[in-house]
Amino acid sequence: MIENLRFLSYRNIADGEVALSSRRVFLVGENGQGKSNFLDAIYLLCFGSSFRGTRDSEAVRKGGSIFSLIGNFARDGMKESVCIRFENGKKTIRSGDKPVRDRKDLVARYPTIVFCHSDFEFAHGEPERRRFFFDQTASLAHPGYIDSFRDFRRVLKTRNLALKGKRVNILDVLDEQLVTYGISLSERRQSITTEFSGVFSDNHEKVSRIGSRVSIEYRPSWKFVGDRGKALDELRRRRPDELALGTTLSGPHRDRFSFIEAARDFTTTASTGQLRLLSLLLRTAQADYCTRVTGRAPVLLLDDVLLELDPDKRSRFMETLPDHEQAIFTFLPGEPYETYLTDDALVYWVDHGRFTSKNGC
Amino acid sequence: MKALEDLVALLSRLPGIGKKSASRIAFHLLKADESFARTLAERISRLRESVRFCSVCGAYTESDPCPVCSSPARDRSILCVVEQPQDVLTIEAGREYLGLYHVLGGLIAPLDGVGPENLHLDALERRVRTGGIREIIIATNPTVEGDTTALYVKKILAGTGAEVTRLATGIPVGGDLEYADRLTLARSFRGRVRL
Ligand SMILES: Nc1ncnc2c1ncn2[C@@H]1O[C@H](COP(=O)(O)OP(=O)(O)O)[C@@H](O)[C@H]1O
Ligand SMILES: [Mg+2]
Ligand SMILES: [Zn+2]
Repeated sequence: MIENLRFLSYRNIADGEVALSSRRVFLVGENGQGKSNFLDAIYLLCFGSSFRGTRDSEAVRKGGSIFSLIGNFARDGMKESVCIRFENGKKTIRSGDKPVRDRKDLVARYPTIVFCHSDFEFAHGEPERRRFFFDQTASLAHPGYIDSFRDFRRVLKTRNLALKGKRVNILDVLDEQLVTYGISLSERRQSITTEFSGVFSDNHEKVSRIGSRVSIEYRPSWKFVGDRGKALDELRRRRPDELALGTTLSGPHRDRFSFIEAARDFTTTASTGQLRLLSLLLRTAQADYCTRVTGRAPVLLLDDVLLELDPDKRSRFMETLPDHEQAIFTFLPGEPYETYLTDDALVYWVDHGRFTSKNGC
Repeated sequence: MKALEDLVALLSRLPGIGKKSASRIAFHLLKADESFARTLAERISRLRESVRFCSVCGAYTESDPCPVCSSPARDRSILCVVEQPQDVLTIEAGREYLGLYHVLGGLIAPLDGVGPENLHLDALERRVRTGGIREIIIATNPTVEGDTTALYVKKILAGTGAEVTRLATGIPVGGDLEYADRLTLARSFRGRVRL
């Protein structure tokens, strides 16, 4: 559980400490007051980057030159702290008194799932966004996936460079490498999609009540997963085009994921409301899947997500909220957040970056 | 004190030495016996004059060809291909390997601007094609670039009749499976052998 956060010169959030020592925390405030900034700070402490995809330098308060964030965590009676400091254009992360050199070491420590507006792109957007979602899910559940993913990316980048430079002498070898690392990635994606789809379909059936199951299918670019020969043939066949374009045209970086209902692509016929719910339930399933694989419930960050659902779906969504160590919600003042209050919930009123407790403490 | 500051600045450019250790070393040199500092300075300046690369294998040496290349006791039919000259010293310290070496001087890493033409690959091919070599053991590091280089070496030596092998990687002996890092473990699985 996150016990408290300390802010210094971070976005519009007032310098000082905000206590979070409750399993449910509600942040209530008008638009533009700092609710999402607060969630982004937590995300930064758990992932080492912003969930809104902004650069570190943008988190420095306007007019300042540094920022620092400290998160104090408690788990199984042990206390830990993570500190992120941005100074001289450089970000340093420390856990306790040890520097964290690789972000992947953070991810495994405090699994965190964010529900946010841009998740809609997972349901309705570029295929790259879906790959991002599944890669993130896999990385949260299986730390080894990150290594496999990075290796593949490195070979892909190398091969693209070789294609651009027409360095035909090393292409054969890079083909072998791309296939070795690509197949390993593809096999992992295939098995993870199968497991994940089961979790997702159950949740989706319960909350959407559309009367049929929506499942997820992995559509690899190299169609015969695990077949080295066929993948190498594909690379050989398209090499002339690749040399002309200077980029790799087949492989896991072109993989797709589809949502299938009754043997048809669900997302091409679904309504906007159905797509919104789908993207939300992808996050729910991400949390459930990670808990199932790692045995450890995540921290949930829910940024304005209930706003987009009709009242029925909203309450069903809250009832099927995944297991969590802690959940932090944002609301607009007009929303009926009181409905979801539990005894131990902590409510903060957010105004111009200041957080005032409404529980009277 | 400029002399002291200059030395500290130089020392802290050495690998593994921070500002703190650098000033500890500098103060130690001030305090220590005068002959120690003089000998150290001499040895450092003589190092670059006396240590060269072996013209045959590329290892560090004081005499050319190096002791390994000129030893009658070594097996001249086996060649171990390594990335850096210091890798030769590491393998030699193990006293396990009795063949010859070939130093590539790097790895194929186009992302860092290093291509095959920047490595001692022509020399390797020449050595192997001249004959007498039965086995090539590739001892590059188990990284993406190490793998790429190993595959490339295998490719250019195809048809020479020499057998190309790669050093196995895995769990360190005396190490515990429990403490093996994830990457090592993943590699050990990929490189598993039939019993
Ligand atoms: N680096 C920064 N310095 C100062 N203010 C910032 C910085 N980054 C964002 N903000 C301010 O934060 C506000 C947006 O906060 P946000 O958390 O997105 O609001 P909401 O409460 O609606 O989620 C905007 O007013 C913006 O100007
Ligand atoms: Mg917001
Ligand atoms: Zn030699």
